[in-house]
Amino acid sequence: MGGRSALRRVGRGVLIAVILVWSAFPIYWALNTSFTTLNGAQAVPAHFLPSPFTVHNYRTLLNQTSGGVGSQFWRSFLNAAIEAGLATVLTVAIALFAAYAFARLEFRGKRIILVAVLATLLLPVYATLIPLYRIMSSVHLVNTYLGIILVYTSGFLPLAIWIMYNYFASVPRELEEAAFVDGATPVMALWRVMIPVSMPGIAATSIIVFLIGWAQFIFPLVLSSDLATQPVTVVVAALYGQRIVPFTLLNAIGVLAAALPGIIALVLNRYIVQGVMAGSIK
Amino acid sequence: MSGERTRTGRKRPRRRGRFLPYILLSPLILFIGALALYPTIVTTVQAFFTVDPLNPPTRFAGLANFRALLHNPFVRQSAANTLLYIVVGVGLSTLFGLGIALMLQRRSRWRGVIVALVVLPWALPAVIEAVIWGWIYDPTFGVLNSLLKSMGLINSYHVWIGIGRIVSIVLIELVQVWQITPLAALLILAALQSIPQELYEAARVDGAGRWEMFKRITLPLVRPGLAVAMVESLILSLNVFDQVYVLNGFAPGGASIMLQTYQISFNNLNFGQGYALSLLATFATMLLSLLILAVVYRRVEF
Repeated sequence: MGGRSALRRVGRGVLIAVILVWSAFPIYWALNTSFTTLNGAQAVPAHFLPSPFTVHNYRTLLNQTSGGVGSQFWRSFLNAAIEAGLATVLTVAIALFAAYAFARLEFRGKRIILVAVLATLLLPVYATLIPLYRIMSSVHLVNTYLGIILVYTSGFLPLAIWIMYNYFASVPRELEEAAFVDGATPVMALWRVMIPVSMPGIAATSIIVFLIGWAQFIFPLVLSSDLATQPVTVVVAALYGQRIVPFTLLNAIGVLAAALPGIIALVLNRYIVQGVMAGSIK
Repeated sequence: MSGERTRTGRKRPRRRGRFLPYILLSPLILFIGALALYPTIVTTVQAFFTVDPLNPPTRFAGLANFRALLHNPFVRQSAANTLLYIVVGVGLSTLFGLGIALMLQRRSRWRGVIVALVVLPWALPAVIEAVIWGWIYDPTFGVLNSLLKSMGLINSYHVWIGIGRIVSIVLIELVQVWQITPLAALLILAALQSIPQELYEAARVDGAGRWEMFKRITLPLVRPGLAVAMVESLILSLNVFDQVYVLNGFAPGGASIMLQTYQISFNNLNFGQGYALSLLATFATMLLSLLILAVVYRRVEF
């Protein structure tokens, strides 16, 4: 009996190790490659620790010579931060009011509007890609931050509403009743009661929306034509496709582009888990 | 107005309140209406039109776009490719997701660390992941070749992407599986955690073994979660684009339907055919989702 349970524990340990290696190895490998020279990265058989160790690739990226890889990368990094960041703010602001209306107020047409909004969650990228490009091009918003932010926001809203609606619905009504007794309007109740108690839900929504925004590729590929608005994903794909940038430098670029979402995921993963789980129940 | 007052039996103190919901919803309705529902209608309608900036004007074309697509060998190949992407993507992400969810269900010291690392691939941009994996798959210096050779599984280094069609697709999809498995795991975990513990205790009293409990309790009751995870993976793999674009470019051997749609629309500027292919893909998404729900989903009551 004791032997069998020890065996089982070893089996579990091995399984956990496999899962961890599967999740982390590619990221480790990018880090490993980014901290060595081209010769070190091309060693056969491969080196599993960076040897020789160097920060040369990162130093190259700090070199801001205009038109160089470094300046291209940081500009696209800034673009991605602006586009994902502002789209997140706009999405969460709109979703807050709308989710509150759906969760707490009674009005004609509520079900139909809610179903229509949530149905767009199921629309694949296909359904909207070409028309959105043509709409943006007809109003001259191609290759502008505004065009990209508007498209992102329309795409992220259904998910944001779904997570926040479920969160609001789980908050006990008694909390607002007290405010209503004191003569508060629904907007005041939302502001003073609902938002403060829903902070974890709002954080989860913001984090998930920002991560999705940072990862966007096909929409900005279509909607931005140059470095004025191209986010980091589009620029990295182009650098990779040119096959000129050495792999060590490319991995350093990958590490930096993944650093922001990676750190968010490592530090704040409980919000991500919460958000996904809140959306999945029902 | 006064009728409403008598029906509810109490005074409504705020007249404005009646419009408040619509005021709160107006930005949402504007965004969804103009930038989600309207574009969907455009796609649906213009799939039946010739829409080509190089060949104006836009005019009714009946089923000509669909006919042209069906006779286009690249479109047919991309459809077959996408089917393989879906089978690999849904199959592996569900299998791995279930395994990871079962692991996470148990309380342990390591749970926090495991969750953090498992969620990580989901949080990173697919393009960046594809670049990282592209280096792993590299034919001359990639660590995949190096590892397989030192383990004695291959004699010489292979070119993984771009030669064999099936190997290319499986390896490209593996990059997507790496990204979407965390989502499947979390969705399945949510379902696992809703199974009442008493069921397991009762089964244990009856002398059921672990495998028996898994087969008789866990598997049937986790089906709603499995169904949601599978539909999620289906939609993602049917839309696969970033990984294919980075790792395989427009080479027809690995092109997905999304890549084909992009090429027809934005490289060839044949928007009409792009709409038609989009419409077909949207229908395929719905049909396959319903199929998965019909086969896997079972209503569970506790």
